[in-house]
Amino acid sequence: MESHPDLTVSVIRGLGWFYLIVAVMNAFWTYRVFRSGAHYNSIAGFKDVPKAATWGLYTVVLAMLSFAHVIVDSTPADFLFRLPVGFKNLVDVVIANPISYFAVSMVIFVAMILLRRVWTRPTVAWVLLNIAMLFLGVSMTDYDFRQIVGKPDNVPIVGMLFLVGFFTWLYFYKSVENDRRIAAGEPKIEDEQSEQVLVWPDLVYTEMICMLLLTAFLIAWGIALQAPLEEPASAVKTPNPSKAPWYFLGLQEMLVYYDPWMAGVVLPSVILVGLMAIPYIDFNPKGNGYYTFEERKFSVITFLFGFLPLWVGMIVLGTFIRGPNWNMFGLYEYWDVHKLEVLNNVDLSQLFWVDWLGKPLPRPDANASALSQAGTIFLREWLGFALVLAYLFILPPLMAVTVFRSFFVKMGFLRFMVLANLILLMGALPLKMALRWAFTLKYIVSIPEWFFNI
Amino acid sequence: MADKKLTTEEILALARSQGAFGSGGGDAAPEPEADAPPVEETPLAAESAEAPAQSAAKPSSTADILAAARTQAGGDDTEKATPAAKPGSTADILAAARAEGTSGGAAPKKPAAAKPASTADILAAARAGKAGGGGAAAAKPQAVKASPRKAASATPAGERPSVAEMIKAAREGGPAGADAPPAKPKLPTRPPLPVKKKGEASTRRSFFADTIVFVTEPFMAAWLAMGAIAAIWGLATARFMMPNMIVEPPTKFKIGPESDYPPGTVSTKWKAERGIWVVNTDQYDGKGMIYALASVCTHLGCTPNWLEGEQKFKCPCHGSGFYITGINFEGPAPRPLERVGLKLADDGSLEVDKSVKFQEELGQWQDPASFVEMA
Repeated sequence: MESHPDLTVSVIRGLGWFYLIVAVMNAFWTYRVFRSGAHYNSIAGFKDVPKAATWGLYTVVLAMLSFAHVIVDSTPADFLFRLPVGFKNLVDVVIANPISYFAVSMVIFVAMILLRRVWTRPTVAWVLLNIAMLFLGVSMTDYDFRQIVGKPDNVPIVGMLFLVGFFTWLYFYKSVENDRRIAAGEPKIEDEQSEQVLVWPDLVYTEMICMLLLTAFLIAWGIALQAPLEEPASAVKTPNPSKAPWYFLGLQEMLVYYDPWMAGVVLPSVILVGLMAIPYIDFNPKGNGYYTFEERKFSVITFLFGFLPLWVGMIVLGTFIRGPNWNMFGLYEYWDVHKLEVLNNVDLSQLFWVDWLGKPLPRPDANASALSQAGTIFLREWLGFALVLAYLFILPPLMAVTVFRSFFVKMGFLRFMVLANLILLMGALPLKMALRWAFTLKYIVSIPEWFFNI
Repeated sequence: MADKKLTTEEILALARSQGAFGSGGGDAAPEPEADAPPVEETPLAAESAEAPAQSAAKPSSTADILAAARTQAGGDDTEKATPAAKPGSTADILAAARAEGTSGGAAPKKPAAAKPASTADILAAARAGKAGGGGAAAAKPQAVKASPRKAASATPAGERPSVAEMIKAAREGGPAGADAPPAKPKLPTRPPLPVKKKGEASTRRSFFADTIVFVTEPFMAAWLAMGAIAAIWGLATARFMMPNMIVEPPTKFKIGPESDYPPGTVSTKWKAERGIWVVNTDQYDGKGMIYALASVCTHLGCTPNWLEGEQKFKCPCHGSGFYITGINFEGPAPRPLERVGLKLADDGSLEVDKSVKFQEELGQWQDPASFVEMA
């Protein structure tokens, strides 16, 4: 008997209930479509086929699938409904590589914005939700996927991914509708509905019902999924992998690319201060009190770029993909402690002096005066300093006269400089990642003597 | 008072706001504390200027009568009030009686003259010897008629304050009212209290008693209690810095003879207890040597693992990797692992000294205290 079986009877039965939930959801959807009375004009020779028929068919298939799972009692190894190995390997290759991972997340991000009119349509969104749930269900037939996704720590993250998806969809759905109305000169959604509800009874009842349901849900959850307690902590034994709480996994991922004081102090502070600065640097009076994308393109894209690929994406990366020794593992890949990844990184000064000039790295003489040592260090790191200073001080004026010219005119010097620096610092993260992947670059400025690295 | 539109306080406020007297204690009213705020509301009082005059026809309480008397605009109002023959209260009577002596008695219509706000005012004015107009026409007859029943406190409306209260109020308010600004009757009386007591104590009592009085002020007592608790906490914290027993292992310890650490190996047997690896290798500068590396990642302080198969130290937190020499080569660690002191003790075993660190990037690995050379 396999020690790590992909399928067991209990897993299959559990999946049966999962598919049953999906089937019930789709039964409701079928009913909704049926009520709307939508028809295909002609399909396979039949005229006026209701669209609900397709959904009904799909629901029945799901119900049968669920039934087949629930009644299983034969050897699970013979169970046929599982992921093909080729698909697993393909996903693993794409996901376990940081370059393709971030490339895919960027492609999804761009597609999300460009195709917003398509995927916000309820039917498309429903299909996407179905795909996501089926993907989750089918992937559960893999042992390694089940280990990582089914870990009590990670179950809420999976739930939150669906929430992030829903709220992003909600924003784009309302924005697309409002943008259409604005373009057509119609009143916005928000103008048509009264925003006022009564505290009593509307709000109080809603809150009370939410409170009861959430309490019940949390109790059920607390019983079903035990708290993931581990052995007593030891100062010299670090769990492998050692993961931060999920909400800090973005920071932990930044720490892979930056020095602790940079990724742990400077960049988080910049994120917080930058979020606080938004009201002061935002000069666009539109979009106040209603959903819109077209009128606030720059703000929305900038924020969502920082939030989705750079924050949520890195939480996903840290939660599901980082494994032992902080290596990246595919979703269906075994967490091998001895997985070997070549990560030899070099500093820019090393590249410059040794690889390009063919000289030894200037080393400060331990017996020389402090000033002389500092001189040697600055000589060693001059290129890195020059690049960093150019990035922070030459790029903003360049931006002001080129791509951000209209911004500069509208915002004035101070507000523009704040905006430009915030954007540059946000861009510093993907930039450093790309440099790491392209040149195995560790630090642009590396002064371990002073614990100063950029 | 059913048909009355203004409360006593408002009327009093109105009366005072017209500014004849620099009056102080408005304590003749049923609610002495409550009448303070409205006094300052001059606009409100001005708006409702006629109201007291209307209510003069049915004087049912001290306030009404006072108001009627003081705000009279013409003689007929006064006449109405006079036949009513209901002396408002002892306060009025007292006021009228005392005002008689000093008042000019003239100009009953002069509004400025007609506004002693309360007993306190009147008393104050009387004592200060500058009562302007006196209650004149209205007050005088009342006083005359009321004199037989002067002592009785049972005036028509039962809700009125007793004589004792009024006198008390008058006494409290009197001195303050003489030259204090209007409308701040009671407020100043509280803050000066400690000062007064203190001064009193210092003259009459010993220093010790003085201190006792001082510290038993609730305010001071609260601060002293808090200070005392903070001091105790501080002392306890200071004591906490010097534990009775230190569970940390000593920084110097022996790890056995060189022969326990054959060349080309990393010993992890001291990692759990002491946080060091003992390495015997010739990869650093070609010479065989034993050294001890602190098992603390130089990136963020996690504990790396020695991977025998890969011949590297690998940190599980952010993926930093170090060669067997301790030199960093992968991941974000900015500098090599740190060596700790190592020497050959007299008895032939190796002795680690964790109290000293040797950092490669500072050139400290050349220090002979950081390694033991193999023969």
